[in-house]
Amino acid sequence: MMSAPDNIVITAWSAVSPFGIGQKSFTDGVAIGRPAVSVLDRARWDGPDERACLVPGFEVREVLGKGTRAMNRVAGLAVTTVGRLIESVDPGRTWAEDTAIVLGTSTGSSQSTMDIIRASLTGERPYDVEPSLVPYAVMNCAAGQCAIWYGLKGPNATLAAGRPTGLTALSYARRLLLTGRAKRVLCGAAEEYSADRAWIDFHARGGGDAILGEGCAVFAVELASAATTEPVATVLAVDSRSCVDGDWQAMTARCVQRALAAGGSDPAEVRAVCPSGSADTPGQAERAALAGIFGPGVPVWDVAELIGETHAVCSAFQIARALSAVEHGREMAGRLVMITSTDTSGAVGAALLRLGESR
Amino acid sequence: MPRVAPRSSRRSPADRVVITGLGVFSSIGIGREEFVEGLRQGRSGVKPIRSFDTTGYAYANGCEITDFEPARWIKRVPLAELGRASQFSAAAARMAMEDSGLSEEDLRADRGHISIGTTDGESTDFDQITAMEVASGRESMDPVLARRLSANRLSAAVARELDLTDVEMETLATACSAGNYSIGNGYDVIRTGEAKFALCGGADAFCRKTFTAFYRLGTIAPEYCQPFDKNRKGILTGEGAGVVMLESLESAMARGARIYSEVLGYGLNCDGHHPVAPNQAGVARCIEIALADAGVEPEDVDLISAHGTGTKANDVTETRAIRDIYAGRLPRTISLKSMLGHTMGAASSLAAIACSLAITEGFIPPTINHVETDPECQVDCVPNHSVPADLRIVQNNGLAFGGNNAVVVLGKYEED
Repeated sequence: MMSAPDNIVITAWSAVSPFGIGQKSFTDGVAIGRPAVSVLDRARWDGPDERACLVPGFEVREVLGKGTRAMNRVAGLAVTTVGRLIESVDPGRTWAEDTAIVLGTSTGSSQSTMDIIRASLTGERPYDVEPSLVPYAVMNCAAGQCAIWYGLKGPNATLAAGRPTGLTALSYARRLLLTGRAKRVLCGAAEEYSADRAWIDFHARGGGDAILGEGCAVFAVELASAATTEPVATVLAVDSRSCVDGDWQAMTARCVQRALAAGGSDPAEVRAVCPSGSADTPGQAERAALAGIFGPGVPVWDVAELIGETHAVCSAFQIARALSAVEHGREMAGRLVMITSTDTSGAVGAALLRLGESR
Repeated sequence: MPRVAPRSSRRSPADRVVITGLGVFSSIGIGREEFVEGLRQGRSGVKPIRSFDTTGYAYANGCEITDFEPARWIKRVPLAELGRASQFSAAAARMAMEDSGLSEEDLRADRGHISIGTTDGESTDFDQITAMEVASGRESMDPVLARRLSANRLSAAVARELDLTDVEMETLATACSAGNYSIGNGYDVIRTGEAKFALCGGADAFCRKTFTAFYRLGTIAPEYCQPFDKNRKGILTGEGAGVVMLESLESAMARGARIYSEVLGYGLNCDGHHPVAPNQAGVARCIEIALADAGVEPEDVDLISAHGTGTKANDVTETRAIRDIYAGRLPRTISLKSMLGHTMGAASSLAAIACSLAITEGFIPPTINHVETDPECQVDCVPNHSVPADLRIVQNNGLAFGGNNAVVVLGKYEED
């Protein structure tokens, strides 16, 4: 099967995840298959949960060095991930105006936002807030910091689409490439762990246990027709829609069927499915839809059971999970993987990838 | 003077994108007609802030919307499930749809796209949930608020309210240029054939966090916002929403739709320079990209709607960047923020709507509160009173924290 001329390909990627920093940590972690969960240090993380999937030992200043005193965790995760990706494929730093960044988020940093509001509410004067924190309390800060660190002056977008954000980001990236607004797009998502995010999620889900995760995954994306290196995967289709009637299973199935049709594929060709792995109602319906279409025997790659509920970066980690299969051996080369995602807001998405050859 | 037609006139109607519906919530008027009157009269949206306790600030004016009645517009989604920014988004999208002459049934028949730009998402809810925590501990946060906080809720609210399923939706969180990002994205969505219609714009709700942040940075004006004025003292924060209906010219012609303006093109780039300060070279480059994308030359542009925040740094940097591209022939350059305040993620979408109305109604909205033009800015900002004008091509600037520049070029649609 040939790629359509307007398909996009992933030519490189990196991740900073609960498995550690860099692509190899992620692929090794997936291969070992042991959940990267740890007991939280309550002195550092004053949240409702006992356990979480944190990026081990990740402290911004230790990872990125001086000049990052004010930088929040989500920006640190993004800057680290983009840096790893660039080191691996553009060590001479030739990318500039022709390179775009598209980064998914949920709320930027709840922690930075609430730190400013708390300072205003509790300070001696209502404007006694730390000025160096101000840019970090705006959602586009992580993407803007990546641009500053690596001199990337192309389009710089931050977007939010719930758990399917990583898929929507691919769709946005494809549009930038098709319209000639960038030659390549560094596309992905980032989510930090914080006590504030954990408390918000605790209340939003109505209490009870949950294991939250964090991290960032970023992909270098180019048009198939213009790619300069052998792709690690071809994005055959991305389809996203909105569930407004609560029938998540039907809407997931619709997205999957449309993605298959757009990719010119049928279910029998799909060798694995990679759902959001969410435990909520939409997440369960998503699995049922996949079982209905691909049968009960299809391998299900559940990345959430390894790295927790990662919200905005969830579907980007699912893509990374699919790509890591290429690194594990030749048997998945050229095979199709279906990635799906749902979000209680109504967002539903599916992406069909054809994996490339191992390098 | 002979005028060169923009490049779009050489494209097929299927490859041209027009604005056919407007949804407006602003501090100077709700809905197209009130907004036009506000722009024409040079109305000011400034009032003392009422939405949070301003004790302890030396001054606290802002541009709040005091007559927003969400229940008038939001018919399907329970209001308690939507924060104020989501309510603005859904209400403005419904208004844009109704204004375009399309119905929910029409929209359901086709593939669509929803993108809403924002700076702060559900900022009012963040203020409230933090206040609850401060008052009674983290265990006391309201679950209803907790469920509303994700920024993607703004665009999802539009789909839920209009009962649309075959739509891709995203919230573009590119801060204060997000409205232009969103309109540019919609332009591409239509031209790539991904969707038949796109509801695009921006929304933000008034909040303590943003007011306080700008206040701390020393960029809040004590009384008025005076862009380009020698004695300008900064911004006034505001709120609102602007959402437009985008479709191809072919689609608009086929149904006999009213066309407010044509999106001729746009440019995006990133300064990659500083987290908050604008960069002259970056802004100039973005203007250049946008004009090239639209296929127009600087001398074809009749009006610039500037980002024009009214801070010392923005107005000097932005006008210098404009001058870099326009040399000695600057078109009139206005700032709507003098009237609307800085509505953050809504700002450039409300400005795009104002530009579209300026084109159709034949006038240039003024820059109000203007006393003496700063010699360092040197623009004809159409001080204080609107003027009649036949506008064919208008450039709408959006700049943002993070160096996220977005410039949209709009044109008058004239039948061949």
